[in-house]
Amino acid sequence: MSYSVRVAFQSLWHEKWINFLSMVTIAMGLLMIALVSSSIYNVELFARKLPEKFFVVAYLNDQVSEQDAREMIASLKEQKIIEKITYISKDDALKELRASLKDADYILEGLNENPLPASIEIRFKKEAVGPNTIKQFVDSLRKMRGIDDVQYGEKFLLSIHSIKAGIETVGLVLTGVMVSGIIFICYSTVKLLFYRRREEVETLKLLGATRGFIRAPFVIEGGIIGAVGGLLSAVIVFGFYYGLFLKLSAAIPLIRSVIFPTQFFLLLPVVGLGLGITGSVIAMGRIRFS
Amino acid sequence: MIEFREVSKFYDTVTALRSINLTIEKGEMVFLTGPSGAGKTTFLKLIYAAEFPDNGKVMVSQWESDKLNGSSIPKLRRNIGVVFQDFRLLSNRNVFDNVALALRVRKVSEKEIKPIVLDALKMVNLRHKTDGYPSELSGGEQQRVVIARAIVGDPAILLADEPTGNLDPDTAAGIIRIFKDINARGVTMLIATHNPLLFRDTGKRVLRLDNAALIREEQG
Ligand SMILES: Nc1ncnc2c1ncn2[C@@H]1O[C@H](COP(=O)(O)OP(=O)(O)O)[C@@H](O)[C@H]1O
Ligand SMILES: [Mg+2]
Repeated sequence: MSYSVRVAFQSLWHEKWINFLSMVTIAMGLLMIALVSSSIYNVELFARKLPEKFFVVAYLNDQVSEQDAREMIASLKEQKIIEKITYISKDDALKELRASLKDADYILEGLNENPLPASIEIRFKKEAVGPNTIKQFVDSLRKMRGIDDVQYGEKFLLSIHSIKAGIETVGLVLTGVMVSGIIFICYSTVKLLFYRRREEVETLKLLGATRGFIRAPFVIEGGIIGAVGGLLSAVIVFGFYYGLFLKLSAAIPLIRSVIFPTQFFLLLPVVGLGLGITGSVIAMGRIRFS
Repeated sequence: MIEFREVSKFYDTVTALRSINLTIEKGEMVFLTGPSGAGKTTFLKLIYAAEFPDNGKVMVSQWESDKLNGSSIPKLRRNIGVVFQDFRLLSNRNVFDNVALALRVRKVSEKEIKPIVLDALKMVNLRHKTDGYPSELSGGEQQRVVIARAIVGDPAILLADEPTGNLDPDTAAGIIRIFKDINARGVTMLIATHNPLLFRDTGKRVLRLDNAALIREEQG
């Protein structure tokens, strides 16, 4: 085993309490990051599925013939944001209603005229689904001749959009704070270790050690502290996943739709390692020989 | 090998060295003497770049004091073994590891280190104390560990600062014998001491420092 690694492990053991404390604190920070990022991930997934489900219905005036409707659709389709338009005739609408009523369709018996309007159902390209684009489109649709009414989930679209933006902003800020916090913990730990061993460092300098040789054990130690913190957080996350989440989601359908980004959590030790090394390098700063 | 040109060194208001001119050839063994506070330690520190001259320049092998930087200072120091006045042994490492440190900073592989360290310890008669810690050793033994660490990396130059400082005459004589052996291998040596017994009858150059100035050169 290389000398630097040996010294790093000796110091890990020698200063075990402070190192352990740092590891636990780092684990908590990374746990927080894991929590925040899986929330963002889930909101993102949910929001990404949304455009496929989202559509606008325009009810047509009874004066509009099917021929007129087809022409209208053709001209609407020229807009780049449109993915697909489906025409639903008065008959189709009635059939759909019948089908949805199932056995209760006798209530339609008394009707001698179809009261349902024809309509077109408009679906959009994914990237076009946002509150502003849709609102603009709907406004122009409302002004068109032959269109009686336009319906879409405006409030829904708006709130999803702002929830997503909100969670992303909060998540990003929180992650930033946590990342700086973890780097700072590694920084202070290594700074302290460096300070406690300053005599040794001075001697090393006088014996002709290079900067790399002096830094190596501290960087290794800081990296290990970060990586162990990451490992600890991963263990907690997976413990939670197998011990609680899987059982809960089997019982509660709502939880089932929450996705657990396991691959990401496997990265936690690596993230810890990176942050640990960063903090250590900053802690040692420039090593001066004179 | 070592050359001082018009070298002066000041600490705040104190003049530690004034206009020193001197040349030491390769393979020489030279003594530096003078009362306490004369500037002997500072003189040695200028050679291993722990201090830098405020005037003039110090040349050691191919290095010049005014051109040293963060990457050349470690190289220079690996060419010089130093027996520090204050020892600078690591209290949490045993004798073997303290001596081995000089090889580790030279990137000698762990496999090769052991026989070299044991050889050096044999040379200073401490082979039996390999596993001891500095606090378990007498002053003379600690002194010899420092000497072993200074020579183990096979430096071209050996500097010793009061190497017999507080040792009894017998131990001191033993250390001088070791130094003569080292010098016989071609190592250039500069030994700072206020103890004239060390250089008496050696026939070597003795530089006398007093009050920051090189006042005289004698023969021991
Ligand atoms: N780091 C320092 N700061 C201030 N003064 C110093 C320092 N080192 C040495 N001196 C002073 O410089 C003078 C020479 O000291 P030194 O080189 O240690 O002499 P010697 O080794 O001959 O006893 C002394 O007056 C000492 O007090
Ligand atoms: Mg001195």
